[in-house]
Amino acid sequence: MFRAAIRSLLARKVRLILTGLAVVLGVGFMAGTFVLTDTMTRAFNDLVNTGYAPIDVLVRSSNAFTAQTSSLEERDPMPESVLQDVEGVPGVARANGDVIGYAQIVDPKTGKAIGTFGPPTAASAWYEGNGFRLKPGGSPPQGPDQTVIDAASAKTHDIAVGDRVEILFEGPPREFEVVGLAGFGESDSLFGATWAMFDLATAQDVLGKQGKLDTISVVAEPGVSGVELQRSISAVLPKGVEAVTQATVVSEAQDQISTGLGFLRTAFLVFAFVSLFVGAFIIFNTFAIILAQRTRELALFRALGASGRQVMTSVLVEAFVIGVVSSAIGVLVGIGIAILLKGALNATGFEIPASGTVILARTIVVSLVVGSLVTMIAAFVPARRAARVAPIEALREAQDRPGRSLRFRIVAGLVVLALGVAPLLYGLFGTPSNGLQLVGLGAALTFVGVAMLTPLIARPVAAALGLPVRLTGVPGKLGRENSMRNPRRTAATASALMIGLGLVVFVAVFGASAKASTTAVLERTLKADFILISPTLTGFSTSAAEDARAVSGVDTVSQVRQAEAKIEGGTAFVTGLDPGTFPVVSEVDAVQGGLEDLANPNSIAVFDDTARENDWTVGDTIPVEFPATGSTSLRVVALYSENGLIGDYAISLDTFDVNVANVLDTFVLIKADEGADVATVQADLEEALAPYPNIEVDDQAGFRDRYATLISQVLNLISALLLFAVIIALFGVMNTLYLSIYERTRELGLLRAVGLTRRQTRSMVRWEAVIISVMGALFGVVIGIAFGWALQQALEPEGFSELGIPGGQLVIYVVFAAVLGVVFAIFPARRAAKLNVLEAISYE
Amino acid sequence: MSATNEMAPPNARTAVAARAVGLSKVYGEGDAAVRALDDVSVEFERARYTAIMGPSGSGKSTLLHCMAGLDTPTSGQVFIGDVDLTMLSEKALTLLRRRSVGFVFQAYNLVPTLTAAENITLPLDIAGEEPDKAWFDEVVDTVGIRDRLSHRPAELSGGQQQRVAGARALVTRPEIVFADEPTGNLDSKASQEILTFLRSAVKDHGQTIVMVTHDASAASFADRIVFLGDGRVVDEMVEPTTDRILDRLKSLEG
Repeated sequence: MFRAAIRSLLARKVRLILTGLAVVLGVGFMAGTFVLTDTMTRAFNDLVNTGYAPIDVLVRSSNAFTAQTSSLEERDPMPESVLQDVEGVPGVARANGDVIGYAQIVDPKTGKAIGTFGPPTAASAWYEGNGFRLKPGGSPPQGPDQTVIDAASAKTHDIAVGDRVEILFEGPPREFEVVGLAGFGESDSLFGATWAMFDLATAQDVLGKQGKLDTISVVAEPGVSGVELQRSISAVLPKGVEAVTQATVVSEAQDQISTGLGFLRTAFLVFAFVSLFVGAFIIFNTFAIILAQRTRELALFRALGASGRQVMTSVLVEAFVIGVVSSAIGVLVGIGIAILLKGALNATGFEIPASGTVILARTIVVSLVVGSLVTMIAAFVPARRAARVAPIEALREAQDRPGRSLRFRIVAGLVVLALGVAPLLYGLFGTPSNGLQLVGLGAALTFVGVAMLTPLIARPVAAALGLPVRLTGVPGKLGRENSMRNPRRTAATASALMIGLGLVVFVAVFGASAKASTTAVLERTLKADFILISPTLTGFSTSAAEDARAVSGVDTVSQVRQAEAKIEGGTAFVTGLDPGTFPVVSEVDAVQGGLEDLANPNSIAVFDDTARENDWTVGDTIPVEFPATGSTSLRVVALYSENGLIGDYAISLDTFDVNVANVLDTFVLIKADEGADVATVQADLEEALAPYPNIEVDDQAGFRDRYATLISQVLNLISALLLFAVIIALFGVMNTLYLSIYERTRELGLLRAVGLTRRQTRSMVRWEAVIISVMGALFGVVIGIAFGWALQQALEPEGFSELGIPGGQLVIYVVFAAVLGVVFAIFPARRAAKLNVLEAISYE
Repeated sequence: MSATNEMAPPNARTAVAARAVGLSKVYGEGDAAVRALDDVSVEFERARYTAIMGPSGSGKSTLLHCMAGLDTPTSGQVFIGDVDLTMLSEKALTLLRRRSVGFVFQAYNLVPTLTAAENITLPLDIAGEEPDKAWFDEVVDTVGIRDRLSHRPAELSGGQQQRVAGARALVTRPEIVFADEPTGNLDSKASQEILTFLRSAVKDHGQTIVMVTHDASAASFADRIVFLGDGRVVDEMVEPTTDRILDRLKSLEG
């Protein structure tokens, strides 16, 4: 029996390869994710190790927690005098004070600020042992006019020793001479960060930390251990300052790396699982078709005495072999993908230090297990169906056999659909702690349920879609008939595409809704004529607002800052604003209290819905924990409705600055004098802000567009990752066509004999592919809109007021599916056209 | 009658619907080579019903396939009317099959997704031509399946399916119809029906039919029988009867 299973595998190589391909791609995605993130983790960990190798103890202010989103650590600086105290501790060979803060180098060629989303842009002091190494031909920075910058930024922006560069800070921008380039450890940069270094005094000056230090790096005398030294240094430190060993610093940094990459890994694995899920549909369909074609063979086994169980086992063995082999190939493909992606990331400036590709045993084991399990689970239902083949069928003429009763399918499909929709809705509208997992599970089951029901409507849908096709001639008519003849097969093939495209459509609907909602709320609330913003949203110097105030025709300038805090155990963004001027530039509907009361010290305003969820009201005192300053109690003075700019929490700029170490403006909202010429004011503003190349002056429409564009960029990335699943689904279309052609050999021979040309034969197969693909795309559009609508309804309290349906985009998707259907039908069509007529019509 | 001579007299050519000249077909190469047809020259007269008989492996199916343009001869020529099939491209062959040749196979004659009527007009539909309504009606009535026109093949009996196939073969008014064991899968009653139908197509409509069969009673419907053996034409018979055929077959095998 097992030998028969293996024989049957080898006898059908093309089908084997195509079935395996679905697994190969899904597993490849998964293995690639593991390999890439493992490789990056190893590389970054190595970098941290070499970077911190020179020091034994680090002295710094203690912080309450480490913010995940800010690019620089939020810690208050300590007085410079601590340095002398530390130097005086016995066992200290050398101690270097350092400051670190926001800085952005301006490309001297383009005049644009260097830096993208993600890696930080920073400045610190230069000293021996800060982890950076000077490249040959440079010298350390000395005095207020000199800087050393990271070699990676220098290379990509063509900056050489001797050039003069402008650098942006929290305070006003300044110009420096580049006297050296430095790399971090073996790499040209620290995780792709843009970095400028000065002598300590200059660094303190430009970062606004005169007389202060952020850290002190201590090197121990020979024979003194880090732990010993850490203990003796701790004894001399003032309150709020701590000493930690090198090991602690390294493990903290590595923890952060693994958290960051862990997020990336999880995100990619989700897409890998979507691909595998689609792959499972294809495996299911392929096995169902192959086993139907092998009915007589299976019945023969049964007639010869094999039990139903043995038949089923042999099918599952087949699935297992396909699963293991394809997963193994998938691992290899994944390694290739990881190496390519690493190269691509390097090319885009997100530098990954050179190191070997890391392939852990876990990667291989998980990939093999998941790949084979998915294959076997998908093959289970067809295998059980095969086990029920009666011996008598060996004697019957093979025909399209009627399936099980439709009533069973309707009931089973509805049950699965209900099992999917229930957790989906509960996850969305209830507030369970594991909402995301529930939604994921619910969506998967919903897809399965819908897929089980689609055969019921596949025939009429194919017939309807085929109506225009039918008019194109006999090939179109035959293609339409072929797509209608086996609704189960057509539906299962279309369903795989439905999942991939359904998710893409869901993302598109979500994006359109997000854009429409943001636009709607901003149109309502935004009163400012201009908004200053940095394109990468990193924030910019607070001195820009001062310069803007000086521009004639400017009436009100209102600064807005954002920082991370912990409230009620969760991470939240707190907006700092000026309660006096903010209402002039933005409409804030106070539901309770008034925003002007924020002027009182230690007060906070809360978004209405958030307050309701937490049962807060005006007058309550709530604990808020900032990274740098720790816990503080703020009194709720106002509750406001959706505003679009300020999120869930708002505090005054004064409260903000007291609690936040790195102070940058996120937005500056500007209202022009009444009657002033807006175009002139904008031009004057742009001129006044010319020293800040990281700031752009948006008008209202431009600001809304910027948000829409940002949303699109993120969503396009997600759609691109989902495309993988769509491609796998199209391989499914190809597979089904191949199998159908194999099954219809006779019929094709007959058609060719009575005069169907090769071109017409190809055309017939292509039309069938188009009908299946468009059907899948339409199902996907329907389910994607349904999912998007459900999410929008669920998020309505969070400001998702509008449901956006990007009609044009959806039409493009459907056309795209049809075109890709044709592309993926090329090979099956050629196969059909090349069939030897004689072989096709001769009798066995 | 039997045209073993290569040059047929000019006046006879118009009376010939199809002919093979020095036709050979070799499968495989070297020691494994099998000579399925060995220098066969034969003519099939217009408006006549010719049967090809011979034991298994005598090359009768190969001859039919080569005559119909489904298989390519190793050497020699095949003419349908005045057209030399061996000079035609694949596409031209397809168009010729569509216009000038009709087929009835042993089984699997019909496209299962199409109705009987659609199957009958399939060659015309493929060519993008409108069927001649009067001729269509006549053909349908001749085969007696008018009440079955909207049925799909799965809803038809084996005999009905073969009659639909016969109607399809005639509807284009082809130069010649090739039938390959058309009664092979049928019981005797259904066989009688289809053979009578083919006979009447020749008698009433002047259709040319060439039929391969190993069944003596089926062959007795023909005007003439060509006997093949080991890839060669070994004998022929005009105005056959079942008994004479059986005798001849016995002597050929013996």
